[in-house]
Amino acid sequence: MSTKHSRNAEKFLKDKEQVRWHDQTLWMVRAKRDNMSRQLPEWERLRDMACAIKMYSNSHLDLLLQEFEKNAQANGAHVYWAKDADEYCSIVYNILRAHSVKHFIKSKSMLAEECGLNEFLEEKGVEVVESDLGERILQLMHKKPSHIVMPAIHIKKEEIGELFVKEMGTEPGNNDQTYLTHAARKNLRRKFIEAEAAMTGANFAVASTGECVVCTNEGNADMGTSQPKIQITAFGMEKIVPDRESLGVFTRLLARSGTGQPITTYTSHYRKPRTGGELHIIIVDNGRSRILADKEHVKTLNCLRCGACMNTCPVYRRSGGYSYTYFIPGPIGINLGMLKAPLHYFDNVSACSLCYSCQNVCPAKVDLADQIYRWRQKLDGLSVASSSKKVMSGGMKALMEHPHLFNLALRNASVVNGLPQWMVYNGLNDWGKEHDMPQFAKESFNEMWKKNKIK
Amino acid sequence: MSSREDILQSIRRNTQVRYEKPDLSELEKEAVVYPDKVKQFCDIMKLTGGRAVVVESGDDVNEIIRRQYPEARRIASNLMSIVCLGKEQKLACAAFHPDDVANPGDLDGTDLAIVAGRVGVCENGAVWVQQDVEQRAVYFISEALVLVLDRRNLVNNMHEAYKRIDTGEYGYGVFISGPSKTADIEQALVMGAHGARDVTVLLV
Ligand code: SF4
Repeated sequence: MSTKHSRNAEKFLKDKEQVRWHDQTLWMVRAKRDNMSRQLPEWERLRDMACAIKMYSNSHLDLLLQEFEKNAQANGAHVYWAKDADEYCSIVYNILRAHSVKHFIKSKSMLAEECGLNEFLEEKGVEVVESDLGERILQLMHKKPSHIVMPAIHIKKEEIGELFVKEMGTEPGNNDQTYLTHAARKNLRRKFIEAEAAMTGANFAVASTGECVVCTNEGNADMGTSQPKIQITAFGMEKIVPDRESLGVFTRLLARSGTGQPITTYTSHYRKPRTGGELHIIIVDNGRSRILADKEHVKTLNCLRCGACMNTCPVYRRSGGYSYTYFIPGPIGINLGMLKAPLHYFDNVSACSLCYSCQNVCPAKVDLADQIYRWRQKLDGLSVASSSKKVMSGGMKALMEHPHLFNLALRNASVVNGLPQWMVYNGLNDWGKEHDMPQFAKESFNEMWKKNKIK
Repeated sequence: MSSREDILQSIRRNTQVRYEKPDLSELEKEAVVYPDKVKQFCDIMKLTGGRAVVVESGDDVNEIIRRQYPEARRIASNLMSIVCLGKEQKLACAAFHPDDVANPGDLDGTDLAIVAGRVGVCENGAVWVQQDVEQRAVYFISEALVLVLDRRNLVNNMHEAYKRIDTGEYGYGVFISGPSKTADIEQALVMGAHGARDVTVLLV
């Protein structure tokens, strides 16, 4: 019994110390999130409203995107529409080529990752510099992010120290985090100032104003866009929100959920190009409009990319981002991967204990665990379910109906046989101990299932 | 057919149920409020890694700033004066106007920038800065930042804040909550990733 996820996880699990650190560190972030949520009596209503706004905006994309376009153009921005990754990459490249851009500075964008932008541009001879510290470290190491908000969470400071000796001329053996961070600050300053164009993603695009909102802690999006004259901002179309009132809801939830801060350090609102500059905005579909038709999975489009579902996931914490085959790991990645190409990414579906923790922390109420459960059912139809997966799905279903049996049942032979070995032997069955909120759904799974169907 | 039309058509074809826009008024009514806004703001600023200084009558703002940043030499500001508790004080400690430079990159090496904040949010220490200089780089490239904020412009939460903000003629604004930070190396919190390493909000 092994899936790609479990085989990759075995690699990660070889370094026991690292696994323990990874697990505990992310759990700490989760605890910070809990602490933040408890300080707001209106927390649950905030989540409800975030979900309701997203259900509204994602079911009115045609209208809201056109409203956004009209307002953005009135603000002086150029607006482009990209059907897929290729078109998005080409639009970016054409803008850069038209301005003979050789140095291009980017702030973190999961969309760029999704579309392979850096590889595309580098092939064409454009130097791309990532400016988020974690992303920059990974770029220099030729590695991929293992978390959507803490991309370099899997890298040790000793490796970074060694890298910076080579790349930034730091003193060998000095692996102090402050020292290394400030070395990168100095090094990237030059890159910001030399760049001829800067690019950001967007956390939110506001239809009523035509502005894009970007949230960072480092200030890299603003360092980038306040230097060169050319700014490119690209977003997946589900990033649209109707108005600034909605931003009031999302900005209260995003950082509290993701990193346990009351808000990110910078919440930047880009409405017009800089004086004498240009603002190019790219609206990207790349499979999103297709998801709209899938009633059972449409809520994935609610996602704010906050990372909370990863931080809380017992499987993610103990197997690491590289164990998943889709570029976004954790509960949301499992689901997005399946929507992208089920036959390619079905391995990840096994990386879930159906504890429902993700669904309980998600600020936009994506029904993450319900969806994973549904995929497990559908794997039969895709004829890729191995007999062990059937045991697992069947067993998990029964357990969800009788949650109090869960811990007991993990020791039950037939279910344990259905779990990958690494899960059984790595204390996963103990995860309940440290949770103050594993929160099996109050309603039975079937009730939720029915409700979702009626909706 | 253009991609734009393709995409819009695909959206229309695939959209199933159209959900209504939710009414946020209940949420906005029950959202957190603070009996002592100044105190809450000062407390939360510490959490962000910055600080708030309440200017009392008789205080000299130039002195407060110099005491906070004794080493700062290259000080940029577009403010000629600061009104504290109804009295205007000339801002004497600034050395130059940020728009005096030819290129935004020339602002590199600025020790301190003193700029106006418009709205301060008590739940998270965020201060709304509406761009009011040509080179907004000054808000980020300076080593330290002083945000001057009228304490009467403190609001409880982001719902209230979004009713009050504007991006102005430059079409840009930013909420800044404390110093620039990162935890990208083994989750150790370090101030001064790319933006200001140190932030003081002067509550006037
Ligand atoms: S699915 Fe929810 S919890 Fe996970 S990243 Fe998206 S918004 Fe955050």
